[in-house]
Amino acid sequence: MEYGEIKIPKQMISKIEARLEETGFESVDKYVTFVLEEVIKEVEDEEPEEVFSEEDEEKVKGRLRALGYLD
Amino acid sequence: MITVLAIDALEYTLVEKFDCNNLKQKYYGKTNISEFSEPRTMVLWSSFMTGKNMEKEILAKGDKDMWNTKLDIKDTFFDQFENPKIIDLPGFSYITDQHDQERKLLKEFFDAQSEEEKGQVRVDYNNLAFEHHRKIKEEFIDVLEADHDFILGYFSVADVIGHLNFGNRTMMKMIYKDLDEIAGSMKNQFIVLSDHGMEQIGIFGDHSNYGFWSTDFKDLGNPGITDFAKIIKEMR
Repeated sequence: MEYGEIKIPKQMISKIEARLEETGFESVDKYVTFVLEEVIKEVEDEEPEEVFSEEDEEKVKGRLRALGYLD
Repeated sequence: MITVLAIDALEYTLVEKFDCNNLKQKYYGKTNISEFSEPRTMVLWSSFMTGKNMEKEILAKGDKDMWNTKLDIKDTFFDQFENPKIIDLPGFSYITDQHDQERKLLKEFFDAQSEEEKGQVRVDYNNLAFEHHRKIKEEFIDVLEADHDFILGYFSVADVIGHLNFGNRTMMKMIYKDLDEIAGSMKNQFIVLSDHGMEQIGIFGDHSNYGFWSTDFKDLGNPGITDFAKIIKEMR
């Protein structure tokens, strides 16, 4: 695997270093990689969001009229 | 003090899906609103506070005038309390200017001819609803510290935003997490109650035919929304 570089605030690096012993991670790099993988996984696991369709719009318009929201 | 978090369109399945444990409390379930022909907001909240089915009476006003319903406190269970505070509840203390504006923008959205125009109206509509939500949340949190024996805070954000954005999971999750945070800040006994839930039509949302309840003191089973007047009176 190839690696690249990213910049994060030094203050954050210090915080992560202080946490390393409790986490079992060997380095800040590995800790940050893990956290980013988890975040990306969470985003990717989310259901795809719905997109607008005229058919849905007509259906919901009818329902909103029945419920008194639209004239 | 008894408090009710009255949340319009709080959907049972999303409370579960988003792990809203504060909203769920110890006991939670669905309400039965099958006695009503449609899950109409004004009808359901009016029936909640009077303890009787108000559908015929509210519908007789017509679709426009029903939103101006303002029941006398003597016709509601609120008069059982010495110093109740009811925030923005449809049929009682509803802030009609705000909600009229929301329905106006909803109409503008469906009348808009282009996707660009619809997109702009949606942004305005969402902003209006979120701004109102922030105000209601702030008022509700302030009122919790005041000397009231009954407090009801009505939160419309899940309903208003849901109608145009229910298929936007990220936005709905953010709303549910915020409502869950409000429930988590409660220090006294409270009931969470919705008039109905919401079901998805693509990106949009329609009212579902059941509501949501939760308490930390009793399993209520599958209550009707008209049962809560009696349940709350018995809590005093």
